[in-house]
Amino acid sequence: MAPDAENYTFLCPPSKEEQEQEPVYRTPSNYNPRLTFHLPAGAGRHYQQQYDDMYFLRLAKLKPTVEQVATDAWDGLTIAGEKVRRVDRVLDVRQGELCWVAGTVYMHLPMKPNILEDLTKENFTSAPPPLRTYTDPSDPSLTQIMLEDESGRLRLTGNFLQSTQLATGAIIAALGTENANGDFEVIDIKLPDLAPQLQRWNGNAPETGVEKGHGKIAFVSGLGITGTSGDTLALELLTDYLLGYTGYSGHGDNNSSLCSSKISRLVIAGNSLGASVIGDVASANFGEAAAKKAQPKKYGYDASAYNDAPITQLDNFLAEILPSIPVTLMPGEKDPANFSLPQQGIHRTMFPQARAYSAPPVRGDEKPEAGWFDSVTNPWDGDVEGWRLWGCSGQNVDDVLRYISIEGGNGSPDKDTDSDARVRIMEAMLRWRCGVPTAPDTIWSYPYQSDDPYVIESCPHIFFVGNQPQFKTATIEGDVPLRLDGDTDMTGTAESSDSARVRLLALPKFSETGELILVDTETLEVEVVRFGVFKGQEEQK
Amino acid sequence: MDSKLYLAENVLNERRPVTYRLLSRALKVHANRAKQILFEFHRNENAKKPQTVHATYVISGIQKAPDPAPTNGHADDEDEMIQSSPYLPSSMPNQDATSDSFRTASIVLAREEDLQDAKSTFQSISTIHVYSLQPTALPDLNVLVDANREISSTHGQDDPLECGKQWGMIQNRNVKRRTGARPPPPAAPAVKAPGAKASKPSTESTVPAKRPLQKEASPSKTEATKSDEPKSEPSAANSQTSKPSGKAAPAKQKGNLFSSFAKAKPKTKASAPAEPAASSAEDVVLDDASEEEAEELFPDSTDKVAAATRENRKEREDKLKKMMDEDDDDDEADDEEMPDADEEPREPTPAEQPPPSKPAELKEEVTVQGGRRRGKRQVMKKKTVKDEEGYLVTREEATWESFSEDEPVPKKKPAVNVPKAKAGKAAGQGNIMSFFGKK
Repeated sequence: MAPDAENYTFLCPPSKEEQEQEPVYRTPSNYNPRLTFHLPAGAGRHYQQQYDDMYFLRLAKLKPTVEQVATDAWDGLTIAGEKVRRVDRVLDVRQGELCWVAGTVYMHLPMKPNILEDLTKENFTSAPPPLRTYTDPSDPSLTQIMLEDESGRLRLTGNFLQSTQLATGAIIAALGTENANGDFEVIDIKLPDLAPQLQRWNGNAPETGVEKGHGKIAFVSGLGITGTSGDTLALELLTDYLLGYTGYSGHGDNNSSLCSSKISRLVIAGNSLGASVIGDVASANFGEAAAKKAQPKKYGYDASAYNDAPITQLDNFLAEILPSIPVTLMPGEKDPANFSLPQQGIHRTMFPQARAYSAPPVRGDEKPEAGWFDSVTNPWDGDVEGWRLWGCSGQNVDDVLRYISIEGGNGSPDKDTDSDARVRIMEAMLRWRCGVPTAPDTIWSYPYQSDDPYVIESCPHIFFVGNQPQFKTATIEGDVPLRLDGDTDMTGTAESSDSARVRLLALPKFSETGELILVDTETLEVEVVRFGVFKGQEEQK
Repeated sequence: MDSKLYLAENVLNERRPVTYRLLSRALKVHANRAKQILFEFHRNENAKKPQTVHATYVISGIQKAPDPAPTNGHADDEDEMIQSSPYLPSSMPNQDATSDSFRTASIVLAREEDLQDAKSTFQSISTIHVYSLQPTALPDLNVLVDANREISSTHGQDDPLECGKQWGMIQNRNVKRRTGARPPPPAAPAVKAPGAKASKPSTESTVPAKRPLQKEASPSKTEATKSDEPKSEPSAANSQTSKPSGKAAPAKQKGNLFSSFAKAKPKTKASAPAEPAASSAEDVVLDDASEEEAEELFPDSTDKVAAATRENRKEREDKLKKMMDEDDDDDEADDEEMPDADEEPREPTPAEQPPPSKPAELKEEVTVQGGRRRGKRQVMKKKTVKDEEGYLVTREEATWESFSEDEPVPKKKPAVNVPKAKAGKAAGQGNIMSFFGKK
């Protein structure tokens, strides 16, 4: 069956003489990664510190903000003839008195991993097994929500909490009274809300070099390369597309979504390697452990226990697209980087071919320059085309989701409800001003001592989270009424904008959906390009 | 190369799938032209004889909404920002996250047979082009991945920065690539590593193969020996230091020499097959442990190149061979080979070393004295003692045991002798006795 050849450019015999095809040039990328999550190398990285510094810093940073918000809302408020009073410390709350207080949320959940329990049971595992939820759906009363500050803890209670989502590590202000049990009946809570947002380009847009017209930033996550041929056909199509072989690469802009020359940068948000690799190797190691002992010690890696196909293939993929498009690569849960957040970039030696495009190694204290191929941290923030991006490979949302019992019970929750919940969590994070609230409680984290980088001090324009089950996007707006003196670091340019607007992106796993997400650099509109193989009749049988 | 010829060769003769990118690389033509070439070939061949060539197509365009709608039900109010004040009791954003609708473009690969079905799922199609040609319908499209892998293996040498324009790749004016060595073609490291690895196991396993391999000493081999040395030195040092230093310095030295002798054994045998003493069973034992031994052969050649190391070893071998001729006590050598606990100062064995031709394991002397035969034999005994630090140390010791042939003679002497040997808290006592007895 020959296809009807009339309409399509490529379904016709080639013209006799080879005409010179005019090269297509890619929209240049303006890129300025930030080093918020960059840890000092080697001896500068310490793990002796206690984690309480992080909570202290977070509270110190966000308490003034949330108190300001609360003061604006509750100052002078009278409920049932009683004037609302502000209390400075959690321990100063007096029984029966209507007051509000700010502090850190701590949630005690029945299934939450507990290091002390692990120790007493003496089955100390290297990584906790993934749980779907920490809550016990059969008995919600086991969940205790507390508010703590440097003075102490206060158990929160009340029906109001049922209608809210909270997670450990968020800073809130709560209004209510202490009841006879010593619990704090919550009537209302306040969040820090969106951080001040800078304008695009932060007021200094490059005059030259930025061509008018709509560029695009491409996001992909969960490539899930396992090294077998099964998972790579979509990846091949993606490569072809990014390089401009597929689709319409002519000059007419009638179908801009297919014109990949507009894509100025590709951001890969974690889990580029598939899960099965690690699992196989781990089990192989376990099985062979006994046999290995007898063997003489070998140097270098053992090809039987280590499969280099996935990383080689990822390297091939990167090396293929890098001549045409700059890439920002974030590590994910399953990638060869450290496990605890912030994950540091995958080392360039893992990519013998693609490393040629990376920045030269940093000497001494120089500020590392951004490479064409930039292997960055997870979470990561930076400026792309003037927009501030803040992204994580998905651990933050996955973990907060475990704090929240989704209606729908034990089975697999409805896909839509689930991804709605995920987007809501993303929004909540921005309103909490904390990108990874549950670190260091249930997400492993570097013990920061002098700074809590998870606090979002400047609201991003694009907030993305990788490796979500389904693509979902939303726009949120914060409003900044009555907050004239709240944030001193708010610049003039920020105040001139009406309010913060954030594009939320829950990126799907490419290995499951074959979806590439494009964000327009002018309007922040979103498009999806889906790659796939048409399941023919043969396969459907 | 002529495109028709190339396709005829690959698709029809060798029956391989050819993708447009492979064709573009092979013929150095623009990808778009390659698509057209494939189309033409497909049409012409099938006009001559139907079903000789099968094609896969890539369709790009906007697909009709599939059953699980990509956009959700908020389509009505998509542009409207529902703004919930954060001061509402529900501070959690149930409503203010507005789900936007978004356009979904699809790029789908379909077989020739499914093309119409695939096209019918599209609402609008912007392009269709041939992706690949193959002689038969593909049951599994993933085969095409292998065709594309061929690009990197056979055409990996082409610098994408230079040739990209020719292929129709989107050009980027700002690309930064570090100067320096071109990245190796993908296949190269994979080949190299197994080669280096392969040489090592063979050194470990087969003794005769050892020499030729080391003679050809490849750079990787040099590295291997070098990297071995940090390990070998400490272990040599260990064997020194683990011995209680108070006792019998000559014995210690001897032990060392013997240990290196034992370790040199496989090699010596390869060069001097006439060596009489070692039984084949011993060989197996030595081979098993031979990797570490080979390492210990070069304790002091840290910075020397492989050649020097080889010379050095040759000398040592000769020395060792000589020594072997002088006193060939295999038991001792074997003992020294035992790790850790066996590193015990050996009692200076008395002068009655057996001649080299004697069977290795157990020596026996029989003397006839006063009408009855008395024998002494050397046996290996396991002894567990508590040492000064309170550790239990099990060691095997060669002790002399007296025995008497069952002869009808007075049993006074053996009765005395046997308990003594059994009780023999120190092997030395027995040795001295036997020494005197012999005289």
